[in-house]
Amino acid sequence: MDEVTGNEAVSSEVRAEVPAQAGPHPGGERAAYVAQKKPSGREALALAIAVAGWLVPGLGHALLRMWGRAVACFITVGVLVVLGAGMRGNIFSSGGGDAFDTLGYVADLGAGGFYFVARSIEKFGADVSHANGDYGTRFLATAGILNLLAALHAFEAARGHKA
Amino acid sequence: MSFVQVGGTIGSMIDTSSRIRLSHFQGMLVFAVMISVAFGFLSRRRPMDRVKYIAWSLFLFLVIGIGIGWAMYPFSR
Repeated sequence: MDEVTGNEAVSSEVRAEVPAQAGPHPGGERAAYVAQKKPSGREALALAIAVAGWLVPGLGHALLRMWGRAVACFITVGVLVVLGAGMRGNIFSSGGGDAFDTLGYVADLGAGGFYFVARSIEKFGADVSHANGDYGTRFLATAGILNLLAALHAFEAARGHKA
Repeated sequence: MSFVQVGGTIGSMIDTSSRIRLSHFQGMLVFAVMISVAFGFLSRRRPMDRVKYIAWSLFLFLVIGIGIGWAMYPFSR
């Protein structure tokens, strides 16, 4: 599952475009390929990878062929979202009344597409009158922040920085 | 553990008012495992390094969490 040793998975098309002097790279050949592109193109591609990783947890790393990290991000964010919504945690919306609601909304939205999954799971609304609901709120916020961190990690890896 | 016990355990975790119910410790354990796994995979590349990181991070999460819990005990009443 270690993406560093999974070079045989790189397609022939990408393999042909990877410069021979790319050498070993923390993110594998695909990340090295992205890093070798022109600075403007590389930044745009890295940004697209980050956005993809934000929308679907793990997709950014999957595009870089970092399979282990992709699966880990998808599962951890997914489990936290499902548990958080199942425990009837508070899913913040854009119409928050104060700064804390806005911060909560930003954190929840960090889960990308899973934000809407959480909303679809939680059909009966939040119930924070019990500790479970409060824990669920934290799980949902943690899932969002974790996904943002993973997207940032994919962005850095795509830019060729050590990741 | 019999099927009845397993069913009872699962049934106690799920009810109509709050579909998933976790105890305080279960909640902390799930949180610690998920964060440890995510951080382990993101910050380490070699499988053995990841395992060590995850185990150490999980251990610290639990020890510090339980420690803080006991530290608050004198002020709980």
